[in-house]
Amino acid sequence: MSPSDLTTDLLFWLFGAGAVVSGYLVFRTDSMVRAAYWLLASFAGTGALLLLLHAEFLGLVLILMMAGEMTIMAVFMVMFMMNPAGLNPMTMVHQHKVAIAAGVIAFLGLGAVGLLGEFPERPLPETTSVDSARITADLGRELLGESMLPFETAGVALLATMIGAIALASRKGRFGTADAGSAAPEPPEEERRRREHEGSDDGGHHHHGHGHDQSHEHGHGQDHDHGHGHEHGGHG
Amino acid sequence: MSGVLWPHSIWLQAAALAGFVLGGIYAADLMERLLGRYVAGAGVRAGALLAGPFREAALLLSQQRSRTERPDAPAWALAPMLLAGLAAVAAGTVPLGPSAAVAGVDSGIVLFGAAMALVMVCVFLHGWSANSFAPLVGGYRFVAQALSFEMPLALVLIAAALPAESLSFGEIVRSQAGLWNVVRQPLGLPLYLVAALGVTFQGPLATPDAADLAGGTRAEVSGAALLAWRLARGAVLVAVAAVGAATFLGGWSGPWLPGPAWTVLKTLALLAVLVASRHLVARVRLERFVVVAWAVLIPLALLDVFLTGVFLL
Repeated sequence: MSPSDLTTDLLFWLFGAGAVVSGYLVFRTDSMVRAAYWLLASFAGTGALLLLLHAEFLGLVLILMMAGEMTIMAVFMVMFMMNPAGLNPMTMVHQHKVAIAAGVIAFLGLGAVGLLGEFPERPLPETTSVDSARITADLGRELLGESMLPFETAGVALLATMIGAIALASRKGRFGTADAGSAAPEPPEEERRRREHEGSDDGGHHHHGHGHDQSHEHGHGQDHDHGHGHEHGGHG
Repeated sequence: MSGVLWPHSIWLQAAALAGFVLGGIYAADLMERLLGRYVAGAGVRAGALLAGPFREAALLLSQQRSRTERPDAPAWALAPMLLAGLAAVAAGTVPLGPSAAVAGVDSGIVLFGAAMALVMVCVFLHGWSANSFAPLVGGYRFVAQALSFEMPLALVLIAAALPAESLSFGEIVRSQAGLWNVVRQPLGLPLYLVAALGVTFQGPLATPDAADLAGGTRAEVSGAALLAWRLARGAVLVAVAAVGAATFLGGWSGPWLPGPAWTVLKTLALLAVLVASRHLVARVRLERFVVVAWAVLIPLALLDVFLTGVFLL
């Protein structure tokens, strides 16, 4: 379990370059699911770098959390963006000027912190066996001791965000259920006349006529039918 | 004892682990066939039974690969490989004997949890990338199912880590020297088995590849790709059963027999329970399972952690 310096260096460059390249591909791909999983690959590379730094628990937890987060993000994006499977090609970059400005500012800011900030100088011990259990225990004491306030604040903020997201995506909303409440597009004149003639409205259970198969899946479609009526012009 | 019965070289350990996983896949398949014949009231011929898995593998290998219109081909091909890799990682965390596991890291349960979380990515990707209706719905079903069983799975493992005061599976096995966790934490193993059925999506929780979806995530897969997918799923099943044996049934500890033999026997016992569910328990509706998972299983798992903490204090 003692990789030599050369192996460590090679692994560092492999995972570091992999994280950067897959991070770049997030913006070059044309599907929300692919973008989410390129981001996951980037995070997995970052987690591997943490493992190389002997931050075993942090690295593994990063990968564990991101596996779920990225899938949830992909599903939520698909739900909100009216793109039934995320398979339809669509551009992943919008508002170019604002995005470029924000990207440059964020890069310069983080780069300045990295180059100019003062970091504690605690090199890893030269011994081959690192007590990673002790490192994990130190992390736990830090999180529930000194840093408890920011840690718990972040936790409560995340909880509020989760509740908000669930409220936005839930079937029961203020304006009725998500799959029945949104207004269907106005049918053409002759279609409406034919329907009135038949008198066959089945009690508010509209099919929306967006033209994709999923709108017939109300039976077990709780995963992908909530986006109707939200964010209609959200992409493009 | 361990020096003779359990090799110290990492390569020999990895080879032993590979044999353990492959043997487990074969044993699980045999159990399913045997139970299926028994439930159907049909007779069993030993030769046909033992050769069955190999015959089916040969049949799949000789089949043509099916194609769909404009799939995400790299992701489709990657999904079975990724699942097999995750199974290898998960199996690597299991200490087969007292010396060490192949990946006997200090944060073993976190590594196992990360592998199980990535199974969700795998199955969703496998269903999504085929660009076909039934696999896509199967993929979405598995996301809902996985988000529901991940929390109970993590919580029962945390409860098992509390008395060990360590996140490593080796220490968890050692902490059960006096009393196994299956007795000490009676909620642990049943909740773990539900999560294990969920993560291996079989029996009552075979929702993503169910017959009502014409095969779901594997509806468009055939030939060698289907064989790879089924082998990877079998490997995940063996890894999950082995982790259950280490976490709740005392792992390698037991009288008379050497340690690894006990690990194998306990793993086979859990495999039998998990596989039997395929023939003996009806598939549940996913909506009901999600509600039960969030409203019943997670509170029970929290109670498990709480009671363990009270017991330790």
